[in-house]
Amino acid sequence: MRMSRNDTSLLLAIACTIGVGGSAYSAQPESQVRQADGSTILFFVVFAVLTLLISFWTARRATSSSEYLTAGSSISSGQNGLAIAGDYMSAGAFLGLSGAIYASGLDGMFLAASYLASWPIVLFLVAEPLRRLGKYSFADVLTHKLRERPVRILAGSSTLVIVSFYLVAQMVGAGELISLLFGIGYTPAIVMVGALMIVFSTLGGMRAATWVQIIKAVLMIGGSAMIAALVLVRFGFDMSNLFKTAVSNHPNGQGIMDVRSFGLDGVATLSLGVGVLFGTAGLPHILMRFFTVSDERAARLSVFYATCLIGLFFVMLFFIGFGSIALLRGDTTYAAANGVLFGGNNLAPIHLARAVGGSILAGFISAVAFATILAVVSGLLIAGASSAANDLVVGLSGRQLTERTRLQVSRISAVALGVLGILLGLACEGQNVAYLLALATAIAASANFPLLILAIYWDGLTTRGAVIGGTFGLISSVALTAMGPTIWSKVLGLGPAIFPYDSPALVTLPLTLLVCWLVSITKAEPEGDWRPTGPSVARYVESIGARAQSAQVDRLGP
Amino acid sequence: MHRTAEVRPLQVTASRPDTLRVRLMLAMILSYLGMMAFVIYSARHPAPAAIASTIFSPAMIALASCMAVSVILTGLFVLMRHGD
Repeated sequence: MRMSRNDTSLLLAIACTIGVGGSAYSAQPESQVRQADGSTILFFVVFAVLTLLISFWTARRATSSSEYLTAGSSISSGQNGLAIAGDYMSAGAFLGLSGAIYASGLDGMFLAASYLASWPIVLFLVAEPLRRLGKYSFADVLTHKLRERPVRILAGSSTLVIVSFYLVAQMVGAGELISLLFGIGYTPAIVMVGALMIVFSTLGGMRAATWVQIIKAVLMIGGSAMIAALVLVRFGFDMSNLFKTAVSNHPNGQGIMDVRSFGLDGVATLSLGVGVLFGTAGLPHILMRFFTVSDERAARLSVFYATCLIGLFFVMLFFIGFGSIALLRGDTTYAAANGVLFGGNNLAPIHLARAVGGSILAGFISAVAFATILAVVSGLLIAGASSAANDLVVGLSGRQLTERTRLQVSRISAVALGVLGILLGLACEGQNVAYLLALATAIAASANFPLLILAIYWDGLTTRGAVIGGTFGLISSVALTAMGPTIWSKVLGLGPAIFPYDSPALVTLPLTLLVCWLVSITKAEPEGDWRPTGPSVARYVESIGARAQSAQVDRLGP
Repeated sequence: MHRTAEVRPLQVTASRPDTLRVRLMLAMILSYLGMMAFVIYSARHPAPAAIASTIFSPAMIALASCMAVSVILTGLFVLMRHGD
């Protein structure tokens, strides 16, 4: 069964929510949108000052590239778990998923379950090898086995492409969200977020980004729990009463209790699921979190903490979403006659906070949403800066950088990426940014993930196989996403889509694996430029473990 | 007492990575695919009124089960002995 145009739009609208909360806010006239009140501005100023203080405090320590890019690998597993969870509790997840549930019911929870299911895959396959062999970026793991220059250039390129798409999407969403929440124009909102992001990332580096993520994650979980609890109090902790009210308020009726739009086209849903499930393990700003802890045990524990916290957060979003349907639909203070919330459905949690907790809770939640945007874009900037300094510059120049140069290049890259983000954010005002995020996840699943997995677990991967396969994954995922319904038909208006699905991961991921395998087994490594293939990372890691164990027993002596 | 002789290098090849790790990953993928199949089925075949009147719909239970499996498998893996 082919998915209808409306279903596809809904799917994409929900797909974009994990990364950004923007693009739908202009659905209502601005005059009907709540302007900033005293509590919102107060909380915003408190968060802005707090984040700047953190960046100045951490700037004194960020005197080496390892401290700047990976916080000297001194973050504890609990702190890193909170920071990883913070990366996932983006403004898009908070506002977008709640808004998606408000709009269509349980559909919004399907992606939440998919994103949570991607974490065990990250843990089982990549977290430990990354921590053991990597230093600054996932390319470190590839170059353990493969020739450095071509692999670093490829890894750096794909990382910068992914980070750029993510960054632009976040900036556009941030501009629209901040301009609505605080009653200022789009341009000042983008410039304000961008300036804070650059100061913050350039000065404080990964340690500052981690601490802001930690604080934000705690505030986000606390704020969400408070809203969810107040919703349940309204319904006397009777969930059947909550669901009955929601079903009676929503035009889809009992349909909001099923995952309708994702269920209509199995192949499209499967393709989206494959992209989400494996894409997380290829996202640079997520992978970078594993370099900030001291060892593999801490990496494992941090994923466990993050999975628990993200799961808890999604459960609370479920109650916030259904609470919005039950309490906001039909209330003329918050929604128009057709059910669309003033300012767009993505403002559901902020309207709900006002409905159940008054203006102070709404102001607090608005400011947390701002802190969320700042934290996520800062993490992206550092991931991009790390890849630029350690992969692209090293790959293109063919020389290792000194400590001082590496730090300088990282900081310059962070500023350059930040300025680029501001300019592209201004240029893309009013654009539908959903496809940028779909593209970023598809590239991560199609280009980064297959290389990482093959390098870790397969002895036979050659440098030529990795470079040709990775390039194929990068180009094919970009091309097929561009030929999908959203970009080809809606954005470019070129008629019926050439490729029928928005997420190409179901096709491009297996094909990339196949190309890597075929090139590796059919083409011998020539002498000279291509290094003979080394052992797979899995075997190398095991041999390190065996040697360490042997040495320990030897030390016991007779 | 010589204990060195008791130590054997781990006989691991790249084609045989940690078995339990692979099994857990397959369990997660199967659980996710199962959830997806159920969700697609229930979207095409709406639940009977008797089931629909209960507090949680079958699709909600399927999503919640998949999320619970994610957390449980992650916890199981962390609790395993890893020798590091």
